Amino acid sequence: MANLSLKHIYKVYPNGTKAVNDFNMQIDDKEFIVFVGPSGCGKSTMLRMVAGLEEISAGELRIGDVVVNDMEPKDRDIAMVFQNYALYPHMTIYENIAFGLQMRQVPQKDENGNVILDKKGRPKMGKMPKAEIDERVKAAAEILGITDYLQKKPKEMSGGQRQRVALGRAIVREPKVMLLDEPLSNLDAKLRTQMRSEIVKLHERLQTTFIYVTHDQVEAMTMGTRIVVMKLGVIQQIDTPKNLYQMPANKFVAGFIGTPQMNFFEGTLKKIGDKVEIRLNGSQSVITIPYEIVIKAMPQYLDGNTKVCIGLRSEDVSIDPDVVKESNTTIKVKISHTEELGTETLVYGDINMDGDGFGDDSTRIVLKAAGFKNFSSGDVVDAALNMANVHLFDIKTEKSIIPRVPEYTYQDCTVQKGVLSFAGTQIKLPPAMPCPDGNYELHIPVDAISLGGNISAEVVSQEVVNKQTLARLVVGNSTLFALLDAPVEGKKVNLHIDIKKLSICKDGNVVVKPMPLINSLEGTFAMDKVKGTVEVDGKVKSRMVPKYSIVILGQKFEAPADVAVKMFSAFTGRKVFNTSFRYELSPYDFTIGEGGITASVRWMINYGDEKFIECEVAGQTFYVKADKDYSGSVTLMPDFTKVGVTEIGREIKIV
Amino acid sequence: MSNNVSVNVKEKKANPFVSLGNKIASFFKNLPSTLNKKLAGAKEIVTQGNGKVCASMCIMGLGQLMYKQWAKGIIYLLCQVAFLAYFVLKGASDFIGFFTLGTTESNAWVGIEGDNSVIMMLMGLLSIVAIIFYIVIYIANIKDCYSIQCSVDTLKEPKPFKKEVGALLNQKFYKTALALPIVGVCVFSILPIVFMIIIAFTNYGGDIVPPKLIDWVGLDNFARILTLGQFAPTFFKIFGWNILWAVLSTAINYFAGLALALLLNKKIVKGKTLWRMFPILAYAVPGFITLLAFKYMFSYGGPINQMITEAGGTAIGFLDIDAGWTAKLIGLFANAWLNIPSSMLLATGILSNMNTDLYEAARVDGASPFKQFVKITLPYVLFATMPVLISQFISNFNNFGIFYFLRGAMYMDGYFLASDSDLLINWLYNMSINNNYYSIGAAISIIIFIITSVISLSVYVLSPSYKSEETYQ
Amino acid sequence: MKKKKLFKPQKLFNIAITYLIILAVCFVFLFPILWLVLASFSKTGSIYSFKGFFPTEYSFDSFVRLFTDTQMYNYPKWFANTLFISIMSAFIGTALTILTAYCMSRFRFKSRKAMMKTTLVLGMFPSFMTMTAVYLMMTQFNLINQQWGLILIYSAGAPMGYLTQKGFFDTIPSSIDEAARIDGASNFKIFLKITLPLAAPMIVYTLLSSFVWPWSDFILPQLLLKNKDLWTVAVGLMTLPTDEFSRFAAGAVFIAVPIVIFYFALSKFLISGLSAGAVKQ
Repeated sequence: MANLSLKHIYKVYPNGTKAVNDFNMQIDDKEFIVFVGPSGCGKSTMLRMVAGLEEISAGELRIGDVVVNDMEPKDRDIAMVFQNYALYPHMTIYENIAFGLQMRQVPQKDENGNVILDKKGRPKMGKMPKAEIDERVKAAAEILGITDYLQKKPKEMSGGQRQRVALGRAIVREPKVMLLDEPLSNLDAKLRTQMRSEIVKLHERLQTTFIYVTHDQVEAMTMGTRIVVMKLGVIQQIDTPKNLYQMPANKFVAGFIGTPQMNFFEGTLKKIGDKVEIRLNGSQSVITIPYEIVIKAMPQYLDGNTKVCIGLRSEDVSIDPDVVKESNTTIKVKISHTEELGTETLVYGDINMDGDGFGDDSTRIVLKAAGFKNFSSGDVVDAALNMANVHLFDIKTEKSIIPRVPEYTYQDCTVQKGVLSFAGTQIKLPPAMPCPDGNYELHIPVDAISLGGNISAEVVSQEVVNKQTLARLVVGNSTLFALLDAPVEGKKVNLHIDIKKLSICKDGNVVVKPMPLINSLEGTFAMDKVKGTVEVDGKVKSRMVPKYSIVILGQKFEAPADVAVKMFSAFTGRKVFNTSFRYELSPYDFTIGEGGITASVRWMINYGDEKFIECEVAGQTFYVKADKDYSGSVTLMPDFTKVGVTEIGREIKIV
Repeated sequence: MSNNVSVNVKEKKANPFVSLGNKIASFFKNLPSTLNKKLAGAKEIVTQGNGKVCASMCIMGLGQLMYKQWAKGIIYLLCQVAFLAYFVLKGASDFIGFFTLGTTESNAWVGIEGDNSVIMMLMGLLSIVAIIFYIVIYIANIKDCYSIQCSVDTLKEPKPFKKEVGALLNQKFYKTALALPIVGVCVFSILPIVFMIIIAFTNYGGDIVPPKLIDWVGLDNFARILTLGQFAPTFFKIFGWNILWAVLSTAINYFAGLALALLLNKKIVKGKTLWRMFPILAYAVPGFITLLAFKYMFSYGGPINQMITEAGGTAIGFLDIDAGWTAKLIGLFANAWLNIPSSMLLATGILSNMNTDLYEAARVDGASPFKQFVKITLPYVLFATMPVLISQFISNFNNFGIFYFLRGAMYMDGYFLASDSDLLINWLYNMSINNNYYSIGAAISIIIFIITSVISLSVYVLSPSYKSEETYQ
Repeated sequence: MKKKKLFKPQKLFNIAITYLIILAVCFVFLFPILWLVLASFSKTGSIYSFKGFFPTEYSFDSFVRLFTDTQMYNYPKWFANTLFISIMSAFIGTALTILTAYCMSRFRFKSRKAMMKTTLVLGMFPSFMTMTAVYLMMTQFNLINQQWGLILIYSAGAPMGYLTQKGFFDTIPSSIDEAARIDGASNFKIFLKITLPLAAPMIVYTLLSSFVWPWSDFILPQLLLKNKDLWTVAVGLMTLPTDEFSRFAAGAVFIAVPIVIFYFALSKFLISGLSAGAVKQ
């Protein structure tokens, strides 16, 4: 019955390790969120921080609209189910379920059901009446089918029944958020499957927000409406089960979700016309796929030399002769052994004819075949690859190179006499972008494109990703991706391209840089006492009041109140005043000529419709939006309302 | 579990004392930075505290009052007033008295009621305790005021008094719960130790007892024990026997207990519970009763001498002053009788936790039962009971009861207020309780303490169970 | 088969030797106690009227005289004193020990490690090494010849032996505490409603073990109780001369019996408690 907002949440241990690192998420009411990841990934720590059993090192946690960082667990209106059930062994099941209600302070009611008020007009708090407790305990027991066991002790019950009691103890309090910490991992496989569906049913019935922690990806996939995959304290991907499976953002997620694990090969991609040739390490076979599949990939991956990681799930590899016959993307597989599971057979093999299926990681393959199949070790078969579902990852960063939302679109372009032409479109380059004539490569960030310009385009497709729309557009005869705020209606649109975000490259060197949109400065935070006025009991009095300021480059600037509060919450005591921070300001966050930092202008960056000053302060380069040309020295007054703050020592984002 | 254990044993054997040395070395190496860390807090308060914190530094509770924390402010203020009142009325003179230990000797003839040095010592000690206590509260007061400043400065609501009291039953429940045990331990365990240490540096005892005045004598007592003709020979003789006794009795008790446990653990033994009853019986009967029973048994009229006389021999004074080794051996025997049962129970418990797979593996490998004992059982049990072994060694080192009950206080020629079987602790008792040699006794107890605490601390710090305490949770 | 036959006599021999040793050991442990028990039934009472190990005549006289002939040796009074001191020390000591163990097991605070080390060192040297100081202090506090003085010392010393209890608390999973915290219980409530009931067997054990110490201690009462009416059994029995040997034996048997029963009833617990304390130390 509440939504949760988790902003920049950290758990930092005194030795500096970050169990949870910059956790950001919005959880809507009635969602079933699953935190999943290998042990030590911080999922349980995150859940315990939500529960209030662990302190939040930095960040803001809201349940409903209330910031609960410093609240006791009991005041957060949450309930939690533990892995080992954590039932009170000396109490009966009834007492176990009732305990939370007995501990609770509730508004007292008179016989007519009206809330009794105390002298100050607040509701009088007291114990919950026995009859009400009884009613609620019985109702909860009814839901979970444990009514017959209410007078038993936990040790007389089986694991499944105990888990039901633990659930009963949680739901009887009608919490806003239910937290479940690996509740099924102590149960045997059969019971686990049964309880899984019962918990899903319970969620539907209770209509509350559930947060469920598990290390078991099957549990995550079957239960969650959204899944958070974590690794080493960092969120890898937050998405629906389907999207996680079909569009893993990185190799870790791809390997973690799905059994058997996705096959990963190493290889190279080479673009030839509208085809791409894939060569896998260790295999002689060459696979040709349409360029369309990898259209989102950056061109440097398609040069035929760059090693990439190629992932293909076992169900996308088939050795069914009918399929193989039809397919033109086949590969030879040398079988090492099989596992017969009844309905299907897992076939293990190697795409390297010299391999044995156990050696080199990147040539091993697992595939699924229907029914029972008999192979002897060393058999070589043809396998058809369903390359429409291929996943490609960068070898080093492990990020998907065909992500759902690409960062850039690449275009070949030419510059002639200060005019940039690409895809049949011509743009006059502003003085800010001096570029000698020649052929170049143009990087167009997806967020550089907005609606309402003079470039006409055709919408090929669009999909909604995280409340934004990724549109695939055709301009001239080239494809462009654009990230728009809202879906486009109709087929034809007019586009505007924000040219300051473009970069023009040649042979891997950047010829024209995009406009830097962040100025980052180191500084501190300070407090001073100044004369001010305070309202006490309706009278305005003159008092010394604290004034908080951001100190950069030796100058103090008043800090916005909400920034100050956020900074205070990340520190204990007055440590905040003895810490250095990195402040990030956009070029738009300055006013020129009204005092502040004195900077010397290096030159004006003129984009025609927008002008920026590149200036220098104490050896640091600043970019500031300007409405006219400046020279010599200017004063810059920063506006900190949209500032980004990072603590330098622990690398913690605070705002 | 046991696998890990055996690995650890090997690692431990490598160089336990080198690692202790390293520890001590690193402690001193890190001392400046540790101190710096400790002082950083104080530095922060001094440099960043505001006027109200300064106010609290001058008058306790003032800063809190200025922050409108009435209850806390008043409590601190009352603490200050109470302390000042105590100090002016009594504390200051007590404190000075601690150093002078009295100036006027009482003289019954003239009717002067003089100073009682012992009381002054005790009261002086209490005044020092009061001062320390005051300083602790004073620092807490400053810290508290600074934390209010921190809260106010960072726009956080300072905790209301009611909530802080409430926290004593919740987050800070340990403070409430531990208050009484800590006070008890301080008063009845730590204070006597401190008092004893102090006495060791005075000339209290012998003829110099109140109403005579006592004085500080520095390290004289230690010098007298170690060098003076009266004490030194006795000390070294007793010390030698004491070490021998501690080693022998610990080894006997430990290995006999282990042997008994192994014997009763044998598969072929039926009715283990019944057999275990006998040692437990011995364990349960209060020690002084058994020891007195032994004394009677070996006395001239006792059954053993009766049998000897009946057989035509002459009665033997087993425990007489000139008994020599027989008395010592009887002591060892009686001590073994008393302590083997607990060693046995301990070993039984440890053995029942042991992984039997190891034995099976050893049997498969063809190890003989004796080999199994030496290679598997002994290392495991030794590892698991190392801390107990040490504490047994120390309690044997200080085993007062055995010879006190068996022989009582006997004074032998060549010994000063002691006999050949007495341990240091018995000597200490004879001197201080029976013969008023308080300061010498205190000095002896400090020497004993140094010996025992060095042994126990080093072993404790080295023991793997200290390092891996958290793993048991 | 052949091998087995060869083995058998060896095995029999093994069994015989084992039982022989066990019987011998048991005899050694039993004998002094048996002697004492028999002596308590001796008619004449003096140790000199024994025939070897055994009394010449048996009767209940010593026990009767123990409780009736109180002129010189007031055993009932001593017994009542001992009972009072032991029960009070057991209750207070147990409360303090359990609280200490609970805090050390459940809380992580700054001075925790230091406190654990300190108690260990303090516990390493016997309490009466500081006898002189305790005696002088008790004189100054006016607690000589006061039963409460003894009770204070016994119960204040009890928390030092918290390790066994801490080991027990460590085995209670912390998630139970956390569940109760989420259910809205404060740490005090958790201690009262969850931990204490769960620790009931440990509390019984602690009660008994802290009862036994004052029950059989001799040194402290001898030092601090100078008044004959305040004596405990241990001090009283020590003053009995040799011709009252059977009375001594009877008195000893009488106070040993309850403890022996406790120990037998708790022998299993004793083993686990002892070894738990050992490993945790």
